Amino acid sequence: MEFIINYYNYIIVVIIMMLGLWGMLALSNLVKKLISMAIFQTGIILFYISMGAKKGASIPIIKQAYDEHHHPIHQTINNMDYANPLTQILMLTAIVVGVATLGLGLALTQRVYSEHKSLHEDEILETLS
Amino acid sequence: MILGFDIISLSLILLCAVLALFIRDLMGSVIVFGAYSFLMCVVWACNGAIDVAFTEATVGAGVGTVFLVSTIYSTTRIDTFKKNRLLKQLFMFAVVCVVGVLLLKTVTDLPQWGDAGSPANTHLSAYYIENSIDQTHVPNVVTSVLADYRGFDTMFETCVVFVAFIGIFSLLRIRKSKTKNAATTSPTTELTLPPHQEVDSLIIKTASHLMVPFMQLFALYVVAHGHYSPGGGFQGGVILGASLILLAVSYNFKKALSILSEKKIILLVSLGVLIYAGIGVICFFLGGNFLDYSVLHKILPATDTIMARSHAMLGVEIGVALTVMVSMYGIYLSLSSNGRFDKGL
Repeated sequence: MEFIINYYNYIIVVIIMMLGLWGMLALSNLVKKLISMAIFQTGIILFYISMGAKKGASIPIIKQAYDEHHHPIHQTINNMDYANPLTQILMLTAIVVGVATLGLGLALTQRVYSEHKSLHEDEILETLS
Repeated sequence: MILGFDIISLSLILLCAVLALFIRDLMGSVIVFGAYSFLMCVVWACNGAIDVAFTEATVGAGVGTVFLVSTIYSTTRIDTFKKNRLLKQLFMFAVVCVVGVLLLKTVTDLPQWGDAGSPANTHLSAYYIENSIDQTHVPNVVTSVLADYRGFDTMFETCVVFVAFIGIFSLLRIRKSKTKNAATTSPTTELTLPPHQEVDSLIIKTASHLMVPFMQLFALYVVAHGHYSPGGGFQGGVILGASLILLAVSYNFKKALSILSEKKIILLVSLGVLIYAGIGVICFFLGGNFLDYSVLHKILPATDTIMARSHAMLGVEIGVALTVMVSMYGIYLSLSSNGRFDKGL
């Protein structure tokens, strides 16, 4: 039970990645394949974010006191008090790039549909041969 | 307590992922996928990644779903099932199970959830947390790492969005003269298209008219206040793009193009990347390294080397916001009109 609680995020990461991979390999509809790709991608993002989480830590915005000239007062900052910003910024950009690539995939899907009048993998293969 | 939320929402996420893959109707599948993205955003917030949650809420649950819906509108929403796929699916399930077992074996080697002493949390990221205020005066560490410490990374991510937009545009764009030729040679393609219906609902038009200014004001706040609160160029840019998409959905395509014509869209997308790279090149000419903002205090009035970094970050964020806003809008226009740029959803 303790194992499940401590590693719950990682177990879910593995299951989400399995689902995404299975969808990409086994489903025949092109739009569903793209959705599976996006699900696979969120699995990887979840992995990074789980690595960066800290128990009892705040969000990575530093609580800062200012003097009367609006200059920050120097204070010692403890690394343990704030969640890991590095994994977050890597994934933040990955999400935006992910949706841009999803759009590119959808554009390709539309071109395929206008050529073959189908989104089904097998039917497209039939019209090709 | 946070862990409890985490476990509940992750279990719901699994349910949504399975449903999204198995619903036969593509429209339902896409909507469930939108719910999946939204639940994911709750999980990011539980794990302390508030900026990522913001991005997921605007991008994944918002614009991504709109892209999928517009594709389904211009193609088909029925996912036909064939029995001969069943064997292949079972075989793939076995393959995926092998991969899953191998991955699960490595899970115990990873640090436990929320372990503050894990290697990922102690080396580089500790430097950013401890020095961000002293070196840049920016309390939101995510923004300072995004725009300053890892400026190269973000610049090329912006370029990827730009290239993806150019790719979609050149894949789908059909020139007007070409479509006329195609129509005369093969009239069947014209007949299969669904008849275009003018959107003429007073309620939708008025409601969107009322909402758009507030959305844009909020987006500008998100861009400008990214130094002190969650937000920044990516999130603000996507909200700005979403406000334009809302106008394009509630009005017709002519209105959408009168806000930003095709030419302006391409110009503005390039301008955003140019602002970002331009700030880097200016640093270059002032004697610093590429994207080393501290030398900018020579040309920015009333700043020292630290505040110059803070101000330059804002400039960079504006560039990112411009590229992301216009490319999201342009991608939507391309996808919803199937590249014809004459009629949308």
